[in-house]
Amino acid sequence: MNRREFLKSAAVAGTVLTVPSAVALLAGRLEAAVRPDLCVVRGKVPAASVRAALDGIGGIRRFVARGDIVVVKPNIGWDRLPEYAATTNPELVAAVVRLCIDAGAKKVKVFDHPVSDARRTYRQSGIAEAAAAAGAEVSFTDDRKFREMKIGGETLKSWPLYTEAVEADKLINIPIAKVHGTSRLTLGMKNLMGVMGGWRGRIHQRIDGSLVDLAAFVNPSLVIIDAVRILTANGPQGGDLADVKRLDTIVVCADQVAADAYGAMLFGLKPADLGCVRLGQQAGLGTANLEKLNIRKIDL
Amino acid sequence: MLRNLRRTSQSVFLLIFLYLFLQTESKGANDIGYPVKVFLDADPLLWLTTLLATRSPERILSLALIVIIATILLGRVFCGWGCPLGALNDLAGSLGRPRRKPFGWFTLKYLILIFLVAASVFTLQAAGFLDPLSLTIRSLALAIYPAFSHAASALFDMLLAAQIPMLTDASEAVYGLLKKTLLPFRPPQFHQALFLGAVFLGILGLNLVERRFWCRYLCPLGALLGLLSSRALLKRSVSEGCDGCGACAASCPGGARPEMKDGWSVRECVACMNCDDLCPQGAVRFGFSTKKAAALDLGRRRVVASLAAGAMVVPLVRITPLAKAGAADPALIRPPGALPENDFLRRCVKCGECMKVCLTGGLQPALLEGGVEGLWTPLLVPRIGYCEYRCTLCGQVCPTGAIAKLGLEEKAKVKIGLAMIDPGRCLPYAHGTPCIVCEEVCPTPKKAIWLEEAMAGMNDGKAVAVKRPHVDLDLCIGCGICETQCPVLGRPAIAVTSLGETRSKDNRLLLR
Repeated sequence: MNRREFLKSAAVAGTVLTVPSAVALLAGRLEAAVRPDLCVVRGKVPAASVRAALDGIGGIRRFVARGDIVVVKPNIGWDRLPEYAATTNPELVAAVVRLCIDAGAKKVKVFDHPVSDARRTYRQSGIAEAAAAAGAEVSFTDDRKFREMKIGGETLKSWPLYTEAVEADKLINIPIAKVHGTSRLTLGMKNLMGVMGGWRGRIHQRIDGSLVDLAAFVNPSLVIIDAVRILTANGPQGGDLADVKRLDTIVVCADQVAADAYGAMLFGLKPADLGCVRLGQQAGLGTANLEKLNIRKIDL
Repeated sequence: MLRNLRRTSQSVFLLIFLYLFLQTESKGANDIGYPVKVFLDADPLLWLTTLLATRSPERILSLALIVIIATILLGRVFCGWGCPLGALNDLAGSLGRPRRKPFGWFTLKYLILIFLVAASVFTLQAAGFLDPLSLTIRSLALAIYPAFSHAASALFDMLLAAQIPMLTDASEAVYGLLKKTLLPFRPPQFHQALFLGAVFLGILGLNLVERRFWCRYLCPLGALLGLLSSRALLKRSVSEGCDGCGACAASCPGGARPEMKDGWSVRECVACMNCDDLCPQGAVRFGFSTKKAAALDLGRRRVVASLAAGAMVVPLVRITPLAKAGAADPALIRPPGALPENDFLRRCVKCGECMKVCLTGGLQPALLEGGVEGLWTPLLVPRIGYCEYRCTLCGQVCPTGAIAKLGLEEKAKVKIGLAMIDPGRCLPYAHGTPCIVCEEVCPTPKKAIWLEEAMAGMNDGKAVAVKRPHVDLDLCIGCGICETQCPVLGRPAIAVTSLGETRSKDNRLLLR
């Protein structure tokens, strides 16, 4: 083989070998382009809904890699039974834990830093039992594991945060959708207050800016909004079944601002009605412009 | 042999007692799940004095009857074989050998008993201050256990901070294990802990002055059981073999003068059986006989004086303006289900169970908020901790029904007080600064705190929109979570007082 022949055959071989990977790359780009940014599923069974919703945005493996330590952060903030819609649906939490484990997560941790007594909230919400049964490591927060962290936000400069939440490979935020006194609604960004230590009451003086700074710092991989039941009045603690509305809906999105923006619509509000959505968009944390998003709706 | 048997029994009872003490803590369920108050239920002194003070015949049937019958048949076996404080006294006594001659003040405890019983006849429940079980639980719950918890945490925190290779890993593993077993869920902190702890350690320390000093001279329950044991069938007898060596005298924890042979004091004998075990001649034995013991002579004047003191103390502690409606201490917020104050005080034995079990640590021992009579009774201090809306544990562990056992639905209707806002300190009122923490945390199904949209004037002449909280007087139950969580630290901008409490007919605000 002389040099010319060699170059010729090498070129042919190279082209032949490159085509499939180029095709795959192209297909991937194409899929990403048409892949929904946000998926909404209606269905009676939360576990089935969340599976469908995740499949809708590319599958859990898009967010959880083999060997990851994953924190699943539900709302376990109040001493209420699940039907009062003050805490995240336990079946949903368990389903997400299972999905993470199936995707190869090394460990899935579930915790929250509740307002009411943690022993009661973990137990009464049904989350501790359901998540542990699904294979998660459920623990109460340990005061020694909060560490002052430089957040460097516009509003929140520094705050004690839970090290296990910050140091995890991935954090999946699973808020329940509820009304709230200052922030109007509590959705994804507000749920991240559960990784804060210290005297959280002060946050309410500049709640929206604080939430955006916190959300940018914690940066969850995924937001799953539990709207199986939503609390429409007397939130965030609730206590009256008459205030609970059953939507059997689950919203999944990787964009924190878009997730909360869509959550607002569930209550008949506009995205811009929520201060943290407005500020989040301004700060470039995500988009509140739902028309620009590729949204897939699935009815099971 | 018998001595080892007795020591085993003491250990078993002490361990059960301590185990139940540790279980007097929420696991998150609605019910406590263990018979944590069983020792108090079986206490004949608390039974008798509560029965007399409350005159409630439904309290006649009680586990205490078992102890009473056992004492009538077998003598003070409770003191020697079962009492946890007795076991702790024996343990403390084993730390050193007292040198001095016994004081011999045995009559003192009977006079104390007479005083307490006389007071209870006149409706004053004072036995709880000196009852050994109440005293032990209270001291452990409010002082000793919190101190243990604090010391353990400080030690493990230090080891963690030091980051010594291997050692820190080991210490963290041990700490994790302790957190799951011996250590409390949250560090308990109580007012008066130093004083309560000092009294308890002082009582244990007295064993070094004289063994079982407390049991011999002070314990009113011991006195009551002593009286009941006068005709006990289980009796000690000494055979001809006794050569008067005195070995038994030195080993007698009750100071019952066993060397006096038939002249020993049956009421002081705690049936420990040391004298039987240790007699070099094997001359002592315990057996059943109906021989009558010598009568107890306390001295008529002393008895009359104790009775009179017990009767006189009642009006003396009650001539306090605190008893007047409106003059009562507004900080006297009783736990939910607490009976009206007079009935409450007749029942509360200051055992501290409710404070031990309180989820938030808000239940604290009163100093003089409820008068002298109310010393160490529970009151809620919302700045320290609030009353969790769906928790009913304090009523479940109360041994005398001073705090009624409430169902969840009943509990939700009970007002223990009322919150009011201090607009001079509240951020949206006084400082144009947003804050809605009190509204956020308010747990009633329809929130008792509502927000009014208003404009607040600012330093620069502009006005800002704020939401100002208001308390709905009908809906507020006084749980105090708003006060606990109010970010205006120190003196809070919203605070609860006992005003409007369900249990009082007088302490009301509104015409309803």
